Amino acid sequence: MSGQAALERLPGRSGWARPGPWLRIAALRASGIVGVLVVWAIVGQFGLVRPFLVPPLPAVVAQLGDDVVTGGFAISAASTLYRALAGFALACAIGIPVGILISRNRLVGWFVTPIVSVGFPTPTLAFLPIFMLWFGVFDLSKIVMTTFSTVFTVIAAADAGTRGVERHLVWSAESLGAKRTAVFFEVMLPAAMPQILTGLQVALPLALIVEVAAEMLMGGDGLGGRMLQAENYADSVGVYAGIIEIAVVGAIAVGGMARLRQRLLRWHVETAAR
Amino acid sequence: MSVPASSDGIAIEHLSFSYRSKMGAAVRALDDVSLTVPAGSFHALLGPSGCGKSTLLYCIGGFLGVNSGSIRTAKGIVAGPGPERGVVFQNFALFPWKTVRQNVLYGIGKRGTKGEEARARAQSFIDMVHLTGFEDSFPSQLSGGMQQRAALARTLAADPDILLMDEPFGALDAQTRRIMQEELLAIWRQTRKTVVFVTHDVAEAVYLADTISVMSARPGRIRQTIAAGFNRDPDPGVFKRPAFTELVEQIWQMVRAEVDQARGAVRA
Amino acid sequence: MIGTAIRYAPLLILAALWEAVTRLGIVPREMLPPLSTVFVAFVGMLRDGSLPANAAQSFLRGAAGLAAAIVVGFLLGAGMALRPRFHAVAGPLVQAFYPLPKTALVPLVMIWFGLGDMGKIVLIFLGCLLPVTLGTYNGIRGVDRVLVWSARSLGARPREILLEVMLPAALPQLLTGLRTATAFAFLLMVASELIIANNGLGYLIGSLGDNGAYPAMYAAIMTVIALGFFADRGFAALSAHLLRWRA
Repeated sequence: MSGQAALERLPGRSGWARPGPWLRIAALRASGIVGVLVVWAIVGQFGLVRPFLVPPLPAVVAQLGDDVVTGGFAISAASTLYRALAGFALACAIGIPVGILISRNRLVGWFVTPIVSVGFPTPTLAFLPIFMLWFGVFDLSKIVMTTFSTVFTVIAAADAGTRGVERHLVWSAESLGAKRTAVFFEVMLPAAMPQILTGLQVALPLALIVEVAAEMLMGGDGLGGRMLQAENYADSVGVYAGIIEIAVVGAIAVGGMARLRQRLLRWHVETAAR
Repeated sequence: MSVPASSDGIAIEHLSFSYRSKMGAAVRALDDVSLTVPAGSFHALLGPSGCGKSTLLYCIGGFLGVNSGSIRTAKGIVAGPGPERGVVFQNFALFPWKTVRQNVLYGIGKRGTKGEEARARAQSFIDMVHLTGFEDSFPSQLSGGMQQRAALARTLAADPDILLMDEPFGALDAQTRRIMQEELLAIWRQTRKTVVFVTHDVAEAVYLADTISVMSARPGRIRQTIAAGFNRDPDPGVFKRPAFTELVEQIWQMVRAEVDQARGAVRA
Repeated sequence: MIGTAIRYAPLLILAALWEAVTRLGIVPREMLPPLSTVFVAFVGMLRDGSLPANAAQSFLRGAAGLAAAIVVGFLLGAGMALRPRFHAVAGPLVQAFYPLPKTALVPLVMIWFGLGDMGKIVLIFLGCLLPVTLGTYNGIRGVDRVLVWSARSLGARPREILLEVMLPAALPQLLTGLRTATAFAFLLMVASELIIANNGLGYLIGSLGDNGAYPAMYAAIMTVIALGFFADRGFAALSAHLLRWRA
């Protein structure tokens, strides 16, 4: 008896259809997060851990609600996002042209490559005190820090992307009559897009990581600054709420980037429907 | 036999080409190659792997510079790529972010045709390769055979005098390959372009070509040029004709000799 | 040898530029001390032991956190790749954790562990966990099943298949994940030590800055950057050696 036939023969509860496999899968997938929340609620309810270490779930939810209603979350989130995105955008504006130039110009390639290979894997956050020294402790230094930390990732991705363009694509365009600038904008750039976007998808979370760290060190009105303040006042409810708020901001940023990739790469093997 | 105006002969004289390998050594890919391809004829290049037949094609295409010698068409000496020498690659080289129609329109646009006239022209070539209905599909949504048809349509739509084809059916399964060979012949009989066709499949060369050049192993030289000519009448049974199979066997022995010589040279 | 020198020559050019620009007074010395002064401060910190001592503390914490992340991350990633039920449960948690900027966990770690070592180790562990997990998951998922089938038909047992076939086949992706994790370890080490400032290289940088000892601060920063660079280089060399069978 084949497996399929066996399934069809199984008796269901009288009158009820057996829950399909999709329901079981959905339940499993939700169980992780639900499980965490349940454990958290139980821990708070029965005081299994000191409330300072793990504040009760209702208190954190109340804080979150408060932040949303008073607009505190919106203001802080906007502040953090603004600086992180500004730094990220600047890194793209500088990094993509530089990365492309590296792959096309020998001299530029020779000069910039070692700088990128030092900047890329190293904790550029260590430069934070220098930027505080040069630019103060307000928006400018945070944005510069974010740009500096992400630009190397973008350069490397743009370089790899343009280098990896299949030469037969370029040759086809040339033999169809395209001139140099046309070949660059109409063929090389679109062909390099997937890899460049992958680099951007790595750089954006990095921008947020650095921005949050910078806020914790320099203060200010962003989510990071507020969270560190909460810690200083031993306000663990505030810290937990802050983590959830930053996670939401992170999810928005990452999700937005993924959606952008989907739109720009509708033609790609990964996204095109077969 | 009269040849229509839009086809061009190729005269290659004493062509040599070398490049630097990854290790830095100079590799002589082509050594004093001379070849004449009459306008409107179908010429195949055969040879063992690595013999330089694709390199020769790329030189005619103008993608690789020559070290010595010259390649000449009716338009003059070949100095770079151009729409009068259209190319079809083994891996199709379609622009994956453009639809079939947009790909075909690309060369048309470069030639200066725009608007309704361009669309009509593109459509006629899409129909010619039997891709009607798939104009708005992306290459990633098409099978290998369909992608190759689209690549062919794109190249033909730019109205080249010469068609350079680099093992265009090599990535396709055997059945699709046979169908594409027949369709290519039909198109060639209709348009009578000059074709230079690189392949390692002897039967394919004998089926399609007027003349076949067998190349030696690296450094590539032309060993022999043989006339075929089975492509004149559209008879699907041609593969079984004794004259056909004899010629295939004869040429295969020539290629085999080149392969053996290359192996012997390696062992020595 | 000469090739390496030519490749990194631009860095020497930048160093020369640094020295020139500061010596000529184009940039004020308080903002950017001359490279030679920074170097003198560097040697001083080596001699008085402050640099090696703090570096050792940072290294120990970073290595501990990274090691824990490698072990747990590998198990997590392998589990998700090989057991669909586990993937269904753990997957959403990993996905939810992914967009959270890990530096946001610094205050949390301070609440749990105070200002001690454990907190920083846990932070580095949490931050490095995801790259290792994803690398393992993608690596194992990406193993061509005909490799596994070939091994099975040649008589290999499940554990042998995991260690002798899947692990080498998954190695490229795994190593990429480890390389990313190493970079994250450095990043979170610096972040946590700048914020929870009591010892380590990050603390050293911060306190030197607070005290206005800028040449020494620059020296400490350059040290951290150099350590991160050489760690990555070492990893690249290790990867190249382990993957020498690749095309």
